[in-house]
Amino acid sequence: MTSAMHRPQDGTLLELRDVRTHFSTARGIVRAVDGVSFTLERGKALGIVGESGSGKTILARSIMGLLPKRGTIRQGEVLYAGDDLAKLDLKGMRKFWGQEMSMIFQDPMTSLNPLMKIGNQIGEPLRVHLGMDKENARATALKLLQDVKIPEPEKRLDQYPHELSGGMRQRAMIAIALACGPTLLFADEPTTALDVTVQAQILDLIQEQRRDRNMSVILVTHDLGVVAGHTDEIAVMYAGTLAEKATTAELFANMKHPYTEALLRSIPKLDQPSHTRLMAIGGRPPDLITPPTGCRFAPRCPYATEKCRTEIPVLESISAEHSFACWNPVGSSHWQSKQDELASNAGLASAGGQA
Amino acid sequence: MTDIVLDTPSKPAKPSPLTRLIGRVPPIRKWKWGFVLSVAYLVVLTFFAVFANVLPFIRRYNELPKGAAARKLASYRGKPSGSYWFGNDKLGRDTFARSVYAAQKTLTIGLASIVAALVIGGLLGMLAGYYRGWYDRVLSVIFDVLLAFPAIVLALIVVGRFFQSGRLNLGLFQMDKRFFGVIVVLTLLSVAPLARIVRAQTLALSQREYVLAARGLGASSWRILIREILPNLLPAMFSVAFTGLAVLLVAEGGLAFLGFSVQLPFPTWGFMINEARPDIVKGGGWAVFFPCILLFLTVLAFNVIGDRVARRFDIREATL
Amino acid sequence: MAGTGKAHLHGEGQALLSVEDLLVEFPVGRTGLKVNAVTGISFDVLPGETLGLVGESGCGKSTTGKAIMQLPRPNGGSIRFEGQELTSLAGEGMRMLRTNIQMIFQDPISSLNPRRKVTNIVMEPLNIWGIGTPEERLKKVNEVLEAVGIDPDRAASSKPYQFSGGQCQRISIARALVLDPKMIICDEPVSALDVSVQAQVLNLLEDLKAKFGLTLVFIAHDLAVVKNISDRVAVMYLGKMCEVARSDDLYARPAHPYTQVLLNSIPVPDPTVKITGNQRVQGEIPSPVMPPSGCRFRTRCPIAQDRCAAEEPELQALGNDQYVACHFPLRSAN
Repeated sequence: MTSAMHRPQDGTLLELRDVRTHFSTARGIVRAVDGVSFTLERGKALGIVGESGSGKTILARSIMGLLPKRGTIRQGEVLYAGDDLAKLDLKGMRKFWGQEMSMIFQDPMTSLNPLMKIGNQIGEPLRVHLGMDKENARATALKLLQDVKIPEPEKRLDQYPHELSGGMRQRAMIAIALACGPTLLFADEPTTALDVTVQAQILDLIQEQRRDRNMSVILVTHDLGVVAGHTDEIAVMYAGTLAEKATTAELFANMKHPYTEALLRSIPKLDQPSHTRLMAIGGRPPDLITPPTGCRFAPRCPYATEKCRTEIPVLESISAEHSFACWNPVGSSHWQSKQDELASNAGLASAGGQA
Repeated sequence: MTDIVLDTPSKPAKPSPLTRLIGRVPPIRKWKWGFVLSVAYLVVLTFFAVFANVLPFIRRYNELPKGAAARKLASYRGKPSGSYWFGNDKLGRDTFARSVYAAQKTLTIGLASIVAALVIGGLLGMLAGYYRGWYDRVLSVIFDVLLAFPAIVLALIVVGRFFQSGRLNLGLFQMDKRFFGVIVVLTLLSVAPLARIVRAQTLALSQREYVLAARGLGASSWRILIREILPNLLPAMFSVAFTGLAVLLVAEGGLAFLGFSVQLPFPTWGFMINEARPDIVKGGGWAVFFPCILLFLTVLAFNVIGDRVARRFDIREATL
Repeated sequence: MAGTGKAHLHGEGQALLSVEDLLVEFPVGRTGLKVNAVTGISFDVLPGETLGLVGESGCGKSTTGKAIMQLPRPNGGSIRFEGQELTSLAGEGMRMLRTNIQMIFQDPISSLNPRRKVTNIVMEPLNIWGIGTPEERLKKVNEVLEAVGIDPDRAASSKPYQFSGGQCQRISIARALVLDPKMIICDEPVSALDVSVQAQVLNLLEDLKAKFGLTLVFIAHDLAVVKNISDRVAVMYLGKMCEVARSDDLYARPAHPYTQVLLNSIPVPDPTVKITGNQRVQGEIPSPVMPPSGCRFRTRCPIAQDRCAAEEPELQALGNDQYVACHFPLRSAN
């Protein structure tokens, strides 16, 4: 691909400006993504984190243009290297898919064609998009399988998906996604269906390929642990909006949004003693047809005040690399007093329990 | 347990029994007209068929025109008219009246066969899918043979050999042997495909964890089959039954065409079509046209309803 | 890594459940080959304890859980619950087992019949055993539903698909609780859930355990989750037992190389912690149809030697309730 030769190596690759994706359903309008803006540099990895129903998957699909045509209402701009993808139709998007951006899905079994050999599945985009002949495509497919570190790659070319293990299938998926040398790779919960040991390997592999190919990566997941070691920046989503966005180091060192804090506290950690009580977030994400007025997290937030319930907090930057949308952020005086109150309650409760 | 929040979204009002049966009736602008028309058509058809003997404006199925009417008809060639809505056949009989009586026969044959096939095929398929093993293997061979067996030969054997003619005495029921024979043939033809579908579904359902959970609770096999598996099979069975009914109506037409269906005096649509077929070239096409249209509309209606039923019962298990 | 050792078992009469030399095999189609899902593992569970079973998929941990429930009956070995042998039970004895040991499954949606009302699902065990009058049953069901945080009124009028995944898992737990079992086997109960919901369910299990005096066997592939909820953890690999230890010791002083790599695989929610690829386990679990000779982990073990291929290690005591099946443990006995 000639254009690849002239690609700039750094600078902004992707810019989202007030992206909104709503679905019109029988029950009303679902505001799945409701005003998200951010930028992504070339070669960087962005993690989009949130619970199921936070709109993280819909946001990724809005960027890729992989949304159902019927009932979808889109607003805002998706600027990809200067082109507004939101304005493109299916035909216009097709030029971007595969060559500019590609996607890895959660379940490698259902996203691979069960009746097609692995080699042909990797070779197909090469032949369609890059016009390679059969032999060339096969040789490139083999090279890709080596890149993703599948054991015995020659043998895998002529195998069918069901003959591979879950981890190998996900590696094959990655090989397919990498085939045409994309500039932006989406990974939507790429390791949820896999064992922890394989999950770690796959995440390492994605990171390694990103560095080798100077790709940007958008990693969508519900687990802050997954993004911590494998991204440069993190966007935390809640109920279709951005709660907090920061570089990974800054977010973990200085998290501001109570939702981010709650997500982190709900993860069981190895260095805590056994039977440490987890700080679960009560309830569940709101109905996106009638989202709460004010801050959308307020009904589940332990620090919420009257202001949180009535006024929508705006995304505010505290530095070039950190912004959040909250009236009573972690570390504020209200947060501190509430924290003390909760701690003393917990102390009373445990004392009562022992008595 | 401080972090447990009872979240109770709007509680739905308790639906009336009627609503639970047919679902909430949507506002008129959201009606699926294909479905509504299909139901309306079948209701009218069934009404006529059931009350054919009582309704005053329906002639007897074998009533022949007499006197002046007969003379007038001689040059008439059976076109529809104010007194003969669907026209008449070469003998001058009223095609409308005959169509209504034929509806009675055709629908009875179709319904009886599909119900019998559902019960037999459903039971066999469920047992095969649940118990598997040698039982499954034996049944599978039988189904394969039934599917591969030429339908016409089957009809020839059953109707030609066992139910050629005469009356059948089944205690409470008395019926024409030929009529019973047709039902037997159609049932045999539809048992195998139905049983196969049910078997495949049962096989998948038995792997579900709620079946394992029930077994872990000590539920007996019958309890599991009736309580856990059957309710999940029913939607698929009903939807297949409606489509299958449509196929059987056409199949009956095929049997009639070959002369293996019921005998006079009661016709079926297939029989009427076959009977009037030679007259098409002589200008008697109307007697073929109307039974054809009725058969077509009925098959279409059952298909549309079957489709709708399948969707109505589709629980979106995967969306959560 | 052999499960043949029994050094780690407690004395007769102490354990609520004791499993010895458990053997479970599945035929592979009609090839005559068999999957050696579980090959001779032994472990026991003390009353009131939570034992974690951890390992990658294919290590036999779920099979072990189901074998305890006799679903299906294991091919060999002994399983004793309160001193009574379960593998030879039938009739009335099986009935005792079904009410005393319950199981909850990984997929919260699939483990509930989609066409039944939630109240009926939870009441089913009482109906099966004909316990109490209909009014008493309903009262019991509503009590249990409240204990797991599900609104009984909503349960009476709703089917499982109207609840979220986390709520469905609560309903599964309610169904397991309704017969007042002594032991619950939790087969990957939180693997399909979001981290936030996972925390809710883990907390709920801890609460219910205290409230109803339950003994838990907790099966999962995520060592962080297992460590949080368990008193003791047994690490399994390819149908064999690797290491058994108290959960805090297992994390602080892992003795088996496999435990070490499992620990290194867990994503740490802290970007300052860097674990490089070579500290993680490489490759994937071999096929259980033809497992490696000797120690089964040797093909992926960073410190494997010739002896590991020839000789199967037995579980040996390291003191302080820690046992390891390895020729070259990462730490020696106290």
